[in-house]
Amino acid sequence: MTQLAAFSPAQLRAALAGPGLTLGTGRFVTRLHSTIGSVADSLALLYADYPVLDDTAFADFHLQLTRPLTPRRWIKPQVTLLYDGRSLFRPLPLDQAFPMFEWGLNWCVSSRANRYLIVHAAVVEKNGRAAILPAPPGSGKSTLCAALVGRGGWRLLSDELTMIRLDDGLLVPLPRPISLKNASIDIIRAYLPDATLSRPVTDTTKGTVAHMKAPGASVARAADTAQPGWVIFPRYQAEAALTAQPLARADTFMELAANCFNYSLLAADGFDALAGVVEQAPGWRFTYSVLDEALAFFDGLAAS
Amino acid sequence: MAGWRIVPGQTLRHRCWDSMAVLYNDLSGATHQLAEPALALLLDLRDGLVTDDELTDPALADLLDNLRGLDLIETA
Repeated sequence: MTQLAAFSPAQLRAALAGPGLTLGTGRFVTRLHSTIGSVADSLALLYADYPVLDDTAFADFHLQLTRPLTPRRWIKPQVTLLYDGRSLFRPLPLDQAFPMFEWGLNWCVSSRANRYLIVHAAVVEKNGRAAILPAPPGSGKSTLCAALVGRGGWRLLSDELTMIRLDDGLLVPLPRPISLKNASIDIIRAYLPDATLSRPVTDTTKGTVAHMKAPGASVARAADTAQPGWVIFPRYQAEAALTAQPLARADTFMELAANCFNYSLLAADGFDALAGVVEQAPGWRFTYSVLDEALAFFDGLAAS
Repeated sequence: MAGWRIVPGQTLRHRCWDSMAVLYNDLSGATHQLAEPALALLLDLRDGLVTDDELTDPALADLLDNLRGLDLIETA
């Protein structure tokens, strides 16, 4: 199967401007149209290892990044994201086009893929067992996730969306670029000097945003599910000593449920799926300030 | 007040770990966290194992009131 890396810049731009780029990202296929150069450049940088499917292949999501033809385009150019040809989101400044694609694709999965229970959580795997890391923005979840997959030898399933398959409770990978925000961008640049990061985009609703390329080995294993191993609620706290406090399973359940996108929608099926995770995966409340120490804790879990 | 029963439609789908339980509310779609004895009362009510005399015990009044507030039980 062709990978995006095989496309020349001109071929990539032609595909995006013409029939669309049909990109395989784990379980989902997305067909993207765009004539915006920065989108093509970022895709070439961050999605080189991903399969490109035939133009006629079935696509789960049809997205278009386009520049609205309003008078504003001569003053402050904007970008808008169309889903199935319809605009569902407010336009953003043009230089946020690629982050808008990433956010839009997250929205597609979290609001449409209801054959899975979806938790707002990073998820990484080692030795067949996965650590689920639910946490609100600013908790250091993505920073920790980047360190685990970039240096700790963990496989990236997702930095944002943990997908729990309803029929067997296995975790389905969705390895995509890791979204880094604000101070975490420089932290990861220093911690993972060989990592590929996109150009930081400033003044987004999330502050400054850059994306880190997912490890090629994680992308190559996008079809390999994983067993839930642990549920870890991480929190970065400057200067704090590392602490890991076991959580009662009922507390883990309730906190995990609060981090789900579609728990209520799935009703009893969601309850059963979440209970299955909690039965297999003990919960921890985890505070860290030093990435090396955090990675050592996670390695201890994986070895246990 | 004597004569409580489980609200029709509630299946009392639950899990219990380490003396704490989570219970799915079929009518509201909410999930409740309960102490194990509270869950045991619900299951005993469902199974007809609680007498009217026991249900009038003042010690149970607050718990029964809370469970009624969650639409888990109602007067028979």
